[in-house]
Amino acid sequence: MIARISVVSAYYLKNSRRYQCCKRFVYDLLENPNSRLKSWFDLFMICLVIVSVSMLVYQVENQTGVWGDYLEHAVVSVFIAEYLMRLWLCSDTHLILIRHYEKSEYLNISFQLSAPLKEIAGKKFAYIFSPFAIIDLLAILPSYRPLRILRVFLIFRLFKLFRYSNSIKVFSDVLASKRFELITLLVFLGFLIFISSIAIYLFENPIAGGNITDLYDAVYWSIVTISTVGYGDITPQTFGGRLVTLVLILTGLGVLAFFTSIIVAAFNDKMHSLRENRTYAELDRYHRFIIICGYGRVGQEIAAQLLQDKQKFVVIDQDDAHIETAKRQGILAIQGNVTQNETLLNAGINREASTVLCVTGNDVTNVYVTLSSRHLNADVTIISRANRHDNVKKLHQAGADHVIEPFAIAGLLAAEYIGQPVAFEALTGILQEQKDILLETISVTEKCMLQNQEIGAIDFLAYKLTLVGVISTHALHQHHKNRFQIKKQHFYFNPDSHFHLQSGDMLIVLGREYSISHLRDQVEQSKLMH
Amino acid sequence: MRKNILVFGFNRISVEALQRMDGDALDITVVDHDKERLQLAAEHGFHTVCIDYRNDDDLKSLGIGSQVDTLFCFFQEDSENVFLTLSARALDPDVKIIAIVEEGESGEKLVAAGANKIIDTYQICGRKIFELVKKPEITQIIDQTVFGRHDLHIAEVCIPEHSKLEDTYSSHLGLNQRFNLVLIGIVDKELGDDLFFTTGERDHLLNAGDILVILGTSREIRAFKNDVAKNLVEN
Repeated sequence: MIARISVVSAYYLKNSRRYQCCKRFVYDLLENPNSRLKSWFDLFMICLVIVSVSMLVYQVENQTGVWGDYLEHAVVSVFIAEYLMRLWLCSDTHLILIRHYEKSEYLNISFQLSAPLKEIAGKKFAYIFSPFAIIDLLAILPSYRPLRILRVFLIFRLFKLFRYSNSIKVFSDVLASKRFELITLLVFLGFLIFISSIAIYLFENPIAGGNITDLYDAVYWSIVTISTVGYGDITPQTFGGRLVTLVLILTGLGVLAFFTSIIVAAFNDKMHSLRENRTYAELDRYHRFIIICGYGRVGQEIAAQLLQDKQKFVVIDQDDAHIETAKRQGILAIQGNVTQNETLLNAGINREASTVLCVTGNDVTNVYVTLSSRHLNADVTIISRANRHDNVKKLHQAGADHVIEPFAIAGLLAAEYIGQPVAFEALTGILQEQKDILLETISVTEKCMLQNQEIGAIDFLAYKLTLVGVISTHALHQHHKNRFQIKKQHFYFNPDSHFHLQSGDMLIVLGREYSISHLRDQVEQSKLMH
Repeated sequence: MRKNILVFGFNRISVEALQRMDGDALDITVVDHDKERLQLAAEHGFHTVCIDYRNDDDLKSLGIGSQVDTLFCFFQEDSENVFLTLSARALDPDVKIIAIVEEGESGEKLVAAGANKIIDTYQICGRKIFELVKKPEITQIIDQTVFGRHDLHIAEVCIPEHSKLEDTYSSHLGLNQRFNLVLIGIVDKELGDDLFFTTGERDHLLNAGDILVILGTSREIRAFKNDVAKNLVEN
């Protein structure tokens, strides 16, 4: 009966959206390293720990009144709540139950509650005995009155600080990566202390005329000496004792140097991946960003423009010098091979990336990156650079939305210069946004002042704009002349005055930035006034 | 008069540029110091000359300083282009020099050396990609129309002497209704060689020598050009 009820409730929990949302929220609050909530929560907990420990220090010499008790209770309740929530989060009890139930259903044996319970208990206990959980528990326990004797464990509250910042994790990771060297050093150090303690005790015992009364003193002296601290409370008196001291000091120097170099080397090794992690963490915060593969001249030009436009982007390149340039400019950069899926995935092609730009100087790389980007994300916009004309088709086949041929554009501009230098000037002027003259689109939206208007009725000159054409998908316009098919849309060049604008159409106008934004603002406002 | 054009360096850009130049109306010569590249150019059907561009006498023999109108410096190395620009400018102060730039900072040097126009391939490409990201519609239209596939072109029309367009105001041209053309800009010679985009800021009084930059289909551009050429005021 109990088994039935627990299985039913497990299924209920599994299907309850509310429960899922709740758990998700707590996960974001406590564990999810990418959530903003967790950073705030961590900050809050750090403050709480510091407040409670400062009060502890204050209480050493002063009396705190009833408010002090209230504060202590509040802090402890937060700690207990946190502890319980983490215990709840560590495993999904209902899923374990359901798994066991379905297994026994499948095998056609009667469902026993004991097996899942054992597994659940095992998981929970595994969490309870994890180092951080023990620290959490020890931070709470001393507040319980009968256990006042454990007050000294309140110091564990300070250890809780480590939980809320990942510096300790970084440090332990670094140490763990050099485990072999550190263990070797530790064993060597152990032998050294052992030998020197025995030696100094033999030379410096009170009978021989020294100050070392027992083996504990000897070990204490050895460690103080080998670490080059040398308090001087126990000093060798005999010739033999001094000889041991000299040898120990010299070896101590060596051991320290060795230890330091191991740590430094370990940090050096880790630095690269630490930096990379920071880049990824920064990327996680972006919504809709652009991935630039290749940071050569073209990539740098794009990056400069994007920076100016305050758009978010990340650069991937394999070349040290390119990455160095990007970092100097304060641009997020990932050093890696773009042809590996992993690099693109790390850069977030499956998350918030809106556009991938393949702009390396190598067409083979561009085709490959285009192909893998399209494979990884079907919706992302891919713009690719083709250095040879033959590769344009291949890039389109690989899934590029747009292909740019730098040499073709340059060649075209050069050729135009002979026949039509002024037109050439106009073209580069528009292309490069010189003289703040822009070609821009203005969208005709539902219920705005442009909807259902005839082109002839709009006085573009009054807005200081020139109308070049209209982009539309609307079937109504199709009888108009000057229709150019562009992908799935139509571009109507120089539409006549009877052209009826529909919502969804886009006007293409030439003019200064202010004029364009002025008309845009008016269109927006008219929509609101409606 | 046929224009005499020298193209220095045979590579991807020069191929693209040469393909778009009207070979019938222009005298084009491809110049290089590399025999293999010239061989390739000759196979493409271009008139080729092999000289050492570092030698002023060789340059003179090509007609720089006499009949050459325009010179393209399409060498791969910026230093080569700078040297060539400098030599050519010394020989002829009036020749038009167009040079490509590999490294960004070389642009200033080329201008200092006397180039009329700098083409920074990578910069243009970078800006173009940025445009595609920022306003894809516009860029696609420019790409597909002006840059080729569709019949929509940008062209310039110089107003001849005694044209009936003389002494008209640009606002009265009405090109979009009469000729189905869009006026992009005007070079008003009274105000210098700068191009004024038609934004309605000022009304230009047209004179002979002014240049209209228009956008339209090739048939209508031709029609307008004919119209301008034909309708001279009878004296």
